[in-house]
Amino acid sequence: MAAPQVDLSVELAGLSLANPVLVASGTFGYGTEYADLVNISRLGGICTKTVTLEPRAGNPPPRICETPAGMLNAIGLQNPGVDVFISEKMPALRELGVPIIVNIAGESVADYVSLAERLSDCADIAALELNLSCPNVKRGGMEFGIRSELTKQVVAAVREVTKLPLIAKLSPNVTNIVGIGEAARDGGADALSLINTLLAMSIDIDRCRPLLANVTGGLSGPAIRPVAVRMVWEVAQAVDLPIIGMGGITSAADALEFIMAGATAVAVGTANFVEPTVAERIINDLESFCQQTGVAHVADLIGAAHSSSDAGGLP
Amino acid sequence: MVSFVDETAGMYAQPTQLIRHEQVAPGYHLLEFDCPQIAAAARPGQFVHIRVTSSWEPLLRRPFSVMGTNKEEGSFQVLMRTVGEGTQILAEAQSGTEFNIMGPLGNGFALPGPEGEVILVAGGIGVAPLIFLATALHEPNNYRYVRGLFGARTEDDLCCWLEFSGACDEFNGITEDGSVGEQGLVTDFLPPQLERGAGCLYACGPALMLAEVAKQCQDAEIPCYVSVEQQMGCGVGACLGCVIPIHASGTQRYQRVCKDGPVFDAQIVDWEAIRRGCTPG
Repeated sequence: MAAPQVDLSVELAGLSLANPVLVASGTFGYGTEYADLVNISRLGGICTKTVTLEPRAGNPPPRICETPAGMLNAIGLQNPGVDVFISEKMPALRELGVPIIVNIAGESVADYVSLAERLSDCADIAALELNLSCPNVKRGGMEFGIRSELTKQVVAAVREVTKLPLIAKLSPNVTNIVGIGEAARDGGADALSLINTLLAMSIDIDRCRPLLANVTGGLSGPAIRPVAVRMVWEVAQAVDLPIIGMGGITSAADALEFIMAGATAVAVGTANFVEPTVAERIINDLESFCQQTGVAHVADLIGAAHSSSDAGGLP
Repeated sequence: MVSFVDETAGMYAQPTQLIRHEQVAPGYHLLEFDCPQIAAAARPGQFVHIRVTSSWEPLLRRPFSVMGTNKEEGSFQVLMRTVGEGTQILAEAQSGTEFNIMGPLGNGFALPGPEGEVILVAGGIGVAPLIFLATALHEPNNYRYVRGLFGARTEDDLCCWLEFSGACDEFNGITEDGSVGEQGLVTDFLPPQLERGAGCLYACGPALMLAEVAKQCQDAEIPCYVSVEQQMGCGVGACLGCVIPIHASGTQRYQRVCKDGPVFDAQIVDWEAIRRGCTPG
């Protein structure tokens, strides 16, 4: 008997995704780096490496180091700037045939607005993801994502100049993630990405100095997953916006944790470095999970763990 | 310059069997893997990115220069020094163990011009890609007269010197403690080599050694290519984690070791910034 058909598609901020598995910004370059190894057309979508108004050189090395079940990075938003992004990166990206979500960051509200204006005129961009949460730059970055009034202000300003769906990518480096999520909603965000990296550091005891030249960096990988799941859970309960859940996802089981906590889609990040085909494996395993458990539509699992039924169990 | 690297050759990521494992000196291991695609495609200076576990701890892959290939058997070798958790797992691996290996990655050494002899300068474990290069420079189509210098701390660290010297026309072994060969730093023995003249020099070793080699080559006006190391993430140019500083401004300030390197023209590298990064405080 043939396995029952499973519908993996999800709707997110007006986007129709063939499946809920994206690749996270900063971990998949501009799509082409992995073209030899990955069947990119299978992905639910690609969140591109953060682009800024002007080119950025990034931070001095060492920029990364390994930590228990994770890694630190302090890349510092190295990118060629929005003009080069549009002229040199978008042509190859739009050939990939999957939704392209362009991640942007600025040092000021005006930067975000200019970026949104420029990118709104560029064809084949599915959505903008506002990076309000980079911990590794001196100006802007996380500053916008740790103060709710700034979060609301920057989202609202961008909202005024673009019709593209807006996804606010939030920082976990706050005491009240729900308040920031509400601020993004009030500013007019269509969806939320949760979470960016956790501010962290490591010390080289042989040199008696910080391991990263930037001193601090952002922690990612499986080590942060329970923190991310908790934040998705809290925000999903309080804020009526779709969520892209991310933080240490390496398997369909991990992805399901986020979906059941309330994420509509998930993004695979650091795991791409280790297993370039990890997103494809997760998509296949999600389908198998649904077949085996009799779930016809993966969207039925969104937020399922919030069910008030005492017995639990799949919907 | 013409590159050894076939730009059209793909890269691979696949389960790969360890078929030979030899501890060649205390802490040094020669590993040979069965992988016809990588054996056929790898060029001197390229590297492979090895996942040492099927779990997620330790998390990242480990990069190793290819030391040689055996195209008939479809295998390739890497030389490894035990430095941490990842290399310890490889050091304990038995023949027959499978590892997921990506490769060949990066830009290899550019071929030298037709004029002049070639100098190879190896420091410690940096000998691995230069053994591959020396071997390639003795193939009929690429034949060059090769003078090899190999420096390390002790006799144990002068690992695989027989393989290296056997692939060179002249060879000079140097240890810091004088336990074998001449005593000193490899760069102490470079000036007379440069005075003899050479068409091109290739080097691989610790950053401070490379900085000194680059300076001497610049003064002697001899083209110098270096294979550099850096903490690495993805290995394919996506994460921008493994950069080194080069003489440029704007977004060109940092280049990726995995994708733009690991071999760089020594002239473009900002050695001063690298020296500062190597000095505590």
